[in-house]
Amino acid sequence: MELLQPLLRSLETGSVYALAALGIILVWRTSRVMHFAQGSMGMFSGTAVAFVFDRTGAPLWASVLVGAVVAILLGFAVDFAVIRRLRRATAVGKEIVTLGLIMVFLGLAPIVFGTDPLLLPKAIPTGDLTLGNANLSYNGLLNILLGVVIAAVLFVVLQKTKIGLAIRATASNESTARLMGIPTKTVTLLAWATAGVLGMLAAVMIAPTTTVTPTFMNTVQVTALFACVLGGFQTFYGPVLGAYLIAIASNFLKLSVSSVWGDQILYLLILVFLLVRPNGLVGKTYLKKV
Amino acid sequence: MSNASAMAVRVARHPHVRFLVFGAVLMTLPALASSGIMMTSTLSTLGFTLIYAIVAMGLNLLLGYSGLISLGTAGFMGLGAYLAAYVQDDLGLGFWVAVLAALIVPTFIGLLVGVVSLRVRSIYLAIATLTISEILLKTFEQAEWFTRGTAGKQSSYPVVLGIQTDRSSMFFIIVVALVLVMMLTHNIVHGQLGRALHAMRSSEVAAQAMGVNVLTYKLFAFAVATMYAGLAGALYLFFLKSSYPSTWNLFLSLNVVAMVVVGGLRSIYGTVAGAFVIFAVPELILKELPVIGDTPGLPYIFSGVLIVVVIMFFPQGLRGLTDLLRGLVTRRPSAAASEQAPEEVAAR
Repeated sequence: MELLQPLLRSLETGSVYALAALGIILVWRTSRVMHFAQGSMGMFSGTAVAFVFDRTGAPLWASVLVGAVVAILLGFAVDFAVIRRLRRATAVGKEIVTLGLIMVFLGLAPIVFGTDPLLLPKAIPTGDLTLGNANLSYNGLLNILLGVVIAAVLFVVLQKTKIGLAIRATASNESTARLMGIPTKTVTLLAWATAGVLGMLAAVMIAPTTTVTPTFMNTVQVTALFACVLGGFQTFYGPVLGAYLIAIASNFLKLSVSSVWGDQILYLLILVFLLVRPNGLVGKTYLKKV
Repeated sequence: MSNASAMAVRVARHPHVRFLVFGAVLMTLPALASSGIMMTSTLSTLGFTLIYAIVAMGLNLLLGYSGLISLGTAGFMGLGAYLAAYVQDDLGLGFWVAVLAALIVPTFIGLLVGVVSLRVRSIYLAIATLTISEILLKTFEQAEWFTRGTAGKQSSYPVVLGIQTDRSSMFFIIVVALVLVMMLTHNIVHGQLGRALHAMRSSEVAAQAMGVNVLTYKLFAFAVATMYAGLAGALYLFFLKSSYPSTWNLFLSLNVVAMVVVGGLRSIYGTVAGAFVIFAVPELILKELPVIGDTPGLPYIFSGVLIVVVIMFFPQGLRGLTDLLRGLVTRRPSAAASEQAPEEVAAR
């Protein structure tokens, strides 16, 4: 079996999942909310990109910039108007709120952007790169690079900058961080906005393979959540690792076992894997204090 | 004589009797429809509302007592529906076997999922059930021998106890099922199981220290939730006489969550009211509104905004509203609180 070709394709989809998963883990670590609406918020700002591109004839990069502004504003709005006011709600209450947000964005999208499905072209329409006997489109290469570079930049920011230190401190203990003078509210606001932009990018990257409808990010959402489960919720790099692993495993299962059931088999395998390593690949043991 | 009337009052106050009265009131609805006072389509909508109330009752037990969310409700409900159709129409084994299959198989799958995901952290159940639901949805689309794929599975009104049913008699059966589910839920909550669940709710660690096996009870709550979903799926199929894969998507599961949240956690009547608000109000009222009635996605926004607003401002849901109203009427603001008291004591 040819290995390089499916590997390259996996890296391409893996980048999409990795960006979405990074958004989920950023929100989880800073606000302790399982962000079920990551996919639908990405869908909304991604649809905004397609809408601007389609209706105004603006170049793709300009549309993506507009989408980024939409994503940031949405992230700010959700954190400011909803999540921040949930301090007294239980953990499960916060989860349910993000579930409610899924429905809000799903309902808003057709009202704002119309019900006609939109199309979004590839950033680089044509051109292939030949590596041995495998092909990689320039667009695929761009997607891989986007995923890897953005993840790398985020890790550098997290580890080397003052903002990163504030985020890590908030992630490790929110109330202590606040006592130390870290503006935790700004940190979570930033995390939600960044998650929004990451979701938008994931949407723009996956959009050319499908049509832009309110449900086109569902698979990304499910896979990104699973990437977090597989990688573990305790580190920032675990979910990224999980995302690429899932993409690779999914492609090879589809090629060698079943083209229809590949993903389903993979999901079941991950559930079984949880029995062996409940905290994920790089997860640390989770201790609950009384 | 006063003894007998005291007895009568006590019987009338018994929750099971109230459930029966509630069911009897619902039973009059088909008559209203056949006499033309109510539209037949309204009767269908109300029938589906009651079916969703059954599913939501299960999720309410799970969410209200163990704080777990299942996002697989639609998948398990769909599995129940397809199993019922397969057993009744393809295998020809009749109504009761169909219902039994719809009860057992989803519960079994639910237990497997629960065993795997509940050992880690509560939130994994939501993710695992979300995935199982996606797998089931894919199965509904692909396994044509079982579901007829996207073309949709057709079925027929069942023969129950030798009687060929129709729309009104299926409505009766749904009401009977709902009343049974209400009674069962009430008994679970007020029995030994319920005490363990209450204890778990106030503090898992304390409950564990008292000898409550938290994992077992969480699994139990989840098993009940999937069982109700399977039952509701079978009833859905027999009431609509068909099933399409697109019905069983994530948004149905989210709507059931919304029913529980809006109705109020741990409230049996609240769950029925929540199902009415989330399912029947968009169908019967929102669609008829001028100007905004035709807006696409309106029911989604309605449910989504209600979820967010209720969690933010009215954590008790509709149940809180009725407590408030009762307090206003009887001029005893503490009425709600004192009624809660025995539960709270049991929880401590």
